[in-house]
Amino acid sequence: MTTTEAPAPPDVRVPATTARTRHTLGRVLATLARSVAIFVPVFLVATFVTFALRSLSGLSPARIQLGEEATPEAVARVEAHWGLNRPFLVQYADWFGGVLHGQLGASWTNGADISTLIGLGLGVSLSVATFALLIGVVAGFALGTVAALRRTTWADRAITGFVTVISVMPAFVVGIVLVAVFAVGLHLFPSAGYVPAEQGFGPWLAHITLPAVALSFDVVADVARQLRGSLIGAYRENYVTGAVVRGLSPRRIFFGHVLRNGLGPALATLGLKFPALVGASVVTEWIFGLQGFGRFANDSAQAGDVPAVQGVLVVSIVLVVAFNLLVNLVLARVTPTAQRGV
Amino acid sequence: MVRRVLSLATGRIALAVLTVIAVLALFGPLLAPQNPLATGDHPLAAASGAHWLGTDYLGRDVLSRLLDGSRVSVLGSLEVAFTALAIGAVPGILSVHLGRVFEWVTLRLADTLVALPFLLFAVAVIALLGNGLSQAMLVTGALVSPLFYRVARAATLAVARSPYVEAAIVSGASIGWVVRRHVWAKVLPPIAVALAQTVGVGFVIVSSLTFLGIGVQPPAPTWGGLLASDLGYLSHQPWAPLAPALLIMVTVWACNLLADAIRDVSGEAGRALVNTRKARANRRREADPAPAPAGGVR
Repeated sequence: MTTTEAPAPPDVRVPATTARTRHTLGRVLATLARSVAIFVPVFLVATFVTFALRSLSGLSPARIQLGEEATPEAVARVEAHWGLNRPFLVQYADWFGGVLHGQLGASWTNGADISTLIGLGLGVSLSVATFALLIGVVAGFALGTVAALRRTTWADRAITGFVTVISVMPAFVVGIVLVAVFAVGLHLFPSAGYVPAEQGFGPWLAHITLPAVALSFDVVADVARQLRGSLIGAYRENYVTGAVVRGLSPRRIFFGHVLRNGLGPALATLGLKFPALVGASVVTEWIFGLQGFGRFANDSAQAGDVPAVQGVLVVSIVLVVAFNLLVNLVLARVTPTAQRGV
Repeated sequence: MVRRVLSLATGRIALAVLTVIAVLALFGPLLAPQNPLATGDHPLAAASGAHWLGTDYLGRDVLSRLLDGSRVSVLGSLEVAFTALAIGAVPGILSVHLGRVFEWVTLRLADTLVALPFLLFAVAVIALLGNGLSQAMLVTGALVSPLFYRVARAATLAVARSPYVEAAIVSGASIGWVVRRHVWAKVLPPIAVALAQTVGVGFVIVSSLTFLGIGVQPPAPTWGGLLASDLGYLSHQPWAPLAPALLIMVTVWACNLLADAIRDVSGEAGRALVNTRKARANRRREADPAPAPAGGVR
């Protein structure tokens, strides 16, 4: 059954609906404007901090390219080549201008274009992260909804217990267990590596399943818990009692009233989870031998490749902010409470 | 507060587990039965009388390495939590009282910090600023601090609109006095909840970093490092990651449990909960004279 509008007297409904559409549009625009207003200072501060990291670190490309026993002249020559002898703010302005054009500079270790390197890794990481989010949303919604609808029964208790257990399992613990059981023990999945989707959908899926499951546990737990709590809260509201009294079917009450109002916190959690997902990819990609974004971050950080690390941080900030923008837009569209302007 | 938390079964379990972990952190290196760095003749041995948890790929005793590595994890997670508390809580309280500009700036700052993936930043900072776990934990604490900022701000907002605070301000009380006298008591319980949660988060971060081999010099044992070395030998010892993984999970679980227990017993609802439990308990053992409800009632 779909949640169609009840046949109501049209002369009353029509002006109200247009007003609501206009209102919704305004709301979406306001959300966009607010997100952009937050995004700009976030971006400025974060990029400045990431750029200042180099001066604080005292690392230099000369050390990487020439080794420890380089003459001061050689060091100065290499640093001048990279433009490090200019004033700090000039360097920052130069770099920031490049970032705005999508140019993240060249790697200190091999001189390769960092934007290209990160682009290569992002394909892997985004496949895994998207799949993990998908698992998290589907499983989390299923578990949370069942727990809320069957609350105080064995099903609710079992789900709550399960969610508590998986919420305390860090991604790398899950990853190791998955490798031990499904790759080493049962030989169901490859234990490491990545195959692009162009070379076949099956192998691609097989390679990203275990990392995605490892990443998704945290999302599943948080979404399920939030959804259970907010759905139970929504069922206590007066409008639900009103709907019951009006004789609406339980299914209609659930989809039309409870779910729309209870969805907000779960979606907001999803927005907050994304940075953690990006961070955890550092560890899972290490376990599963994926040459992704997180692996690139770890490798370049350990090699002391400062421009690469800066690039990684900038890209991660952009990813996080873009994802939050998406979540905010969905929130503004879906939940009636969002119009109050939380 | 402590007594109220102890009146819940979950609170007792959580505190017991955390006490054990604290003892491990304090005396772990002394309790270790063997030298955690000494390599032996039996690499990848199964659990036995000599090696309770077996040995790793260099023949080192796993139990000793676990005990010896506990201090790093505990100290690191505490450092995250208290850095976050120090950075986040005070601006959170003051943001309500110090006027619009301060409020706007700190709110934007909190938004900024939340948007940064802290594990990535921790990795970057350790790698660039030198191989020390404590710098990274300071940075991580700063990135986690918006949690405390929000919690403290929300609690302060709730109390700042209450009549008695307005009365105090009208009668000429300074902001410092109001905060110390009225706000502090209301802000403490949610901050305690956040602190317990953050310690749990800190454990995960420290374990993740040490798992990647960042922040600690190689021979030194850590919980995460144990897991990482087990990963290469899964086909020989599939059960080896069990002990460090369980240890990490139980600790994080205890932190969350403690946070829930504190949340349950704080505030008006919590007081009612504890009192009804007590009343029920008193009714149940009517036969022997029940001790008077000692704490919780004001």
